[in-house]
Amino acid sequence: MSCVNGAVPTTIIVAGLVLAGYALLMTALNRRMSVILLAALGVLEILLLVEVGLIVAKLAGGERPAGLATLIGYLIAMPLVPVAAAFWGLMERSRWGPAVIAVAGLVAAVLMVRLHQIWPVIHV
Amino acid sequence: MSEPVASPEPAASHPDSTRTGPGRVLIAIYALFALSASARAGVQIATKFSDAPVAYLLSAFAAMVYVLATVTFAIGSPTARRIAVLSCSVELVGVLAVGTWSLADPASFPDATVWSGYGSGYGFVPLVLPVFGLLWLRRWTGRARTRRTIVPSAGDAGEAAADGHRRAGTDRMSG
Repeated sequence: MSCVNGAVPTTIIVAGLVLAGYALLMTALNRRMSVILLAALGVLEILLLVEVGLIVAKLAGGERPAGLATLIGYLIAMPLVPVAAAFWGLMERSRWGPAVIAVAGLVAAVLMVRLHQIWPVIHV
Repeated sequence: MSEPVASPEPAASHPDSTRTGPGRVLIAIYALFALSASARAGVQIATKFSDAPVAYLLSAFAAMVYVLATVTFAIGSPTARRIAVLSCSVELVGVLAVGTWSLADPASFPDATVWSGYGSGYGFVPLVLPVFGLLWLRRWTGRARTRRTIVPSAGDAGEAAADGHRRAGTDRMSG
């Protein structure tokens, strides 16, 4: 179980950082939003939903973290990050659209570290 | 959505607004901080206010400043820009003052605020953000309405102006 717990957040961190790097490269190259970036955001969204599912399963199993309210807030906010970034990035018709996606990738990675701080049983 | 084509002149749907271009990224980060700081301060004040009242009240104040900056950047009217300059200035002074205070007198801060240690708990983003915010707002004072001020890569002035109109028209149709 702890193996599964660790694999998903680690994948999210790597995926978020890779997405951020690629998106920043697109900004540097003066490119606009692309299908590739949207697809990558979709993958990130799926990974985040899987992580939310794993944590909910753990909560359903009867375990509780010290900061339960904060954790629930994270569970609600986490899956919204790629969705909000996709909408906000698509509204931008310049190189700064991909830059918004880069922020979402970095945020996803940071959220995983924060999750571990809120509830150490969530391994990274 | 069109393919990832190189755009020599990134045309925006609202070129005369602080919410486009780099402002889009600033608003995304400000919104993130507004949301997380508000939620965090709310939880802290509701559940353990007596632990560190000064820190939690400062967190709530910081949250309000972030909300104000997010909203004013997104509105982008001249009045909103003036309020945004004010809130970014308050933010910069706040992070410098609280950062110094938290280092000089750690006893006052049993728990961290967003601005403790100059925002070190948040990768110093709280320190850098108001600086970029003020720099972005500066581009809009006095010489607003000139699209080329936000597009350094635009070529010859006369040609760019003529081209700009044509491209803007094309862009509206495709987008």
